[in-house]
Amino acid sequence: MFTHIWKKEIRGELYTWKSMLWLVIASLLFSFTSYLLLTNQELSLLDQTELLWLLGKIMIGVALLIVTIDASSILNVEFEKETAESLFLSPISLRDLILGKLFASLTLWAAIFVISIPYIVVTSAGSHLAWAFMGYVALLGTLGVVGLVFLIFGISLLYRSSKNTITTALIILLAFATPALFTSTLKNDIVSQTFSAINPIDNIFNSLDNVLVDYKTSLLDNWQFLLPLIVFCVVAFLFLFLSAKRFTKQGIIKND
Amino acid sequence: MPDIISAENLKKSYGGNIAVDKLNLHIKKGEFFGFLGPNGAGKTTTIRMITGILKPDYGTIMIDGHASSEKQKIAQTIGVIPESRGFYDWMTAIEYLGFFADLYGITGKEKEKRIASLLSEVDLTKRKHSRIGTYSRGMRQRLGLARALINNPQILFLDEPTLGLDPQGQEDIQSLLKKLNAKGVTVFLSSHLLNEVANLCSRIGIINNGKLVAEGTVSELQEKTKLKDKNLTDIFLHLTRNNQ
Amino acid sequence: MIKSTEKTFLLFLLLISVGFVAHAYAAAPPLTMQIFSSSSLSGTAGDFVTVQGQIMNTGSKPLGDVTTYLSLMDNQNKLPVDLEDWSAEKGLYIGTIDAGQTLPLNWKIHFVKAGTYSLIMIAEAAGYDSPQVSSITQFNVSPKRNLNPKQVLPVALGTPIVLIFIVFLLAYRRRVEE
Repeated sequence: MFTHIWKKEIRGELYTWKSMLWLVIASLLFSFTSYLLLTNQELSLLDQTELLWLLGKIMIGVALLIVTIDASSILNVEFEKETAESLFLSPISLRDLILGKLFASLTLWAAIFVISIPYIVVTSAGSHLAWAFMGYVALLGTLGVVGLVFLIFGISLLYRSSKNTITTALIILLAFATPALFTSTLKNDIVSQTFSAINPIDNIFNSLDNVLVDYKTSLLDNWQFLLPLIVFCVVAFLFLFLSAKRFTKQGIIKND
Repeated sequence: MPDIISAENLKKSYGGNIAVDKLNLHIKKGEFFGFLGPNGAGKTTTIRMITGILKPDYGTIMIDGHASSEKQKIAQTIGVIPESRGFYDWMTAIEYLGFFADLYGITGKEKEKRIASLLSEVDLTKRKHSRIGTYSRGMRQRLGLARALINNPQILFLDEPTLGLDPQGQEDIQSLLKKLNAKGVTVFLSSHLLNEVANLCSRIGIINNGKLVAEGTVSELQEKTKLKDKNLTDIFLHLTRNNQ
Repeated sequence: MIKSTEKTFLLFLLLISVGFVAHAYAAAPPLTMQIFSSSSLSGTAGDFVTVQGQIMNTGSKPLGDVTTYLSLMDNQNKLPVDLEDWSAEKGLYIGTIDAGQTLPLNWKIHFVKAGTYSLIMIAEAAGYDSPQVSSITQFNVSPKRNLNPKQVLPVALGTPIVLIFIVFLLAYRRRVEE
């Protein structure tokens, strides 16, 4: 049942140009970044591994931002455009709706990843890291996107407003992203270290560093970064589950 | 004849305000039931509770022998034109009806045939490839009716189906509803247009301040209110003004 | 017995000797440095070149703890260049260089940025307060003209173009369907 919602969302994203525009912008960003990094690498101001690490961070960062914006409105738009009532009068359940929309958000991430493949191939030429780079961008990006979408959907069901959801989601993304920009000195105290250990974006970037700069490409070597990401997904899912229960209790039409 | 819709002791309040208060409704299969009431009387709340969109605070609902908790079975039995009339503006009429046909599990040739037939019934065949965003209000109303009929429902719930339509449009919808009722579809019509209700409905219920104040045929209502020579408008005004 | 005038003369000689010795230690060490590869130094940004030179002890005594450095000046911007990206070896420690001995000097440097530069060698030795400097060698670094490193341009230009084409194709198809 959720596949019909998924297909409808994909068609809507294609025909309303919304996602296509984001994909074009993402590819322009990747083009600019990879060109800039490779011309710097020509001057050997940048090691190839450092180049790949920077590019990997940008790819996943851009994807997380785009998916955040998309996921913030994809559920609420049904209520704001008054199409929810017709939907819920049909045999679909809230679970089908959420699953269908989740897969639509994941499809957007998949599209961004597919676009990034040619850039990955060209920048990692000669480094023997192409497959590792591609694999870890896929794995880390997927874990990050899944957790983030669960979280945002949970917020959507609580707020029932696209505007409030997108504001909150962007603040959360910023809260996760900002410490990743700190220098190692600032990250030395116990509070920063604790936050860094649970921060999904820090774990994504640190894992990429581990793979691309330190050549530790096995899953076992990256388990310390993958586990917090999996935990993040589980916690976000629990949050979504509880939000959905509350939503169901309140009803599609909220008691005022 | 058994009840196809049975609502007992329905109660719903929003905050401190009681929207529906101990409402009892029993509608027989094949009836054309009119549900009248002034603004804010509780008509939409009642329809939403019966169709499963809203959970009542208290009371029981049975639709064609299924409890309101059997959502899947009830969804297959009913068709609804709800109060909120949103559409996916980027879709064409064919895509829209196709999407809902998929949700109801209608596929293949049956799906194509049903969509074509419904578009013809609501006179949207010529505009079936146009985006819904380009439709007039009346066209959207007709498309909403087509969507409500996509699953060949046994019961049709209509919340102001002719709202905003010109007289010709109203006439077209009304004759379609008569045709459906003649085929055995039970119709639950909520409307402000008393003439429409009087023309179409075999039985009428009048709600005011959340309570069902009267129920019956026009003659029964005339008898009850002792307004034998009066029309439905007078009866309605008498009942709703007296109960404020 | 030494007469008073003789005493004065000896004292004077002693003072002059002390003065000379003091002066000797304030001066730069007796070293001469030369860059051999001045004509072949010019190149293109991104090139790695070896600066070859030599250092000679022109004094009469061995010099200890001798260290040589490169110093680079950007002629266009009239600024000293931070050698961090240009050379991994900023100083070469020679140790002891005997009187009259000549030793080779080699630095690997990386031409980071295009421009014209002035290069000097600086040497210091134990016991000397001032360093010795070589003559100035000037060289040019041409800008890197490769606009398509690792064949990135087809991807960098092609991917957005393909996506834009897909957008227009979808829009056209939608219009035809309607």
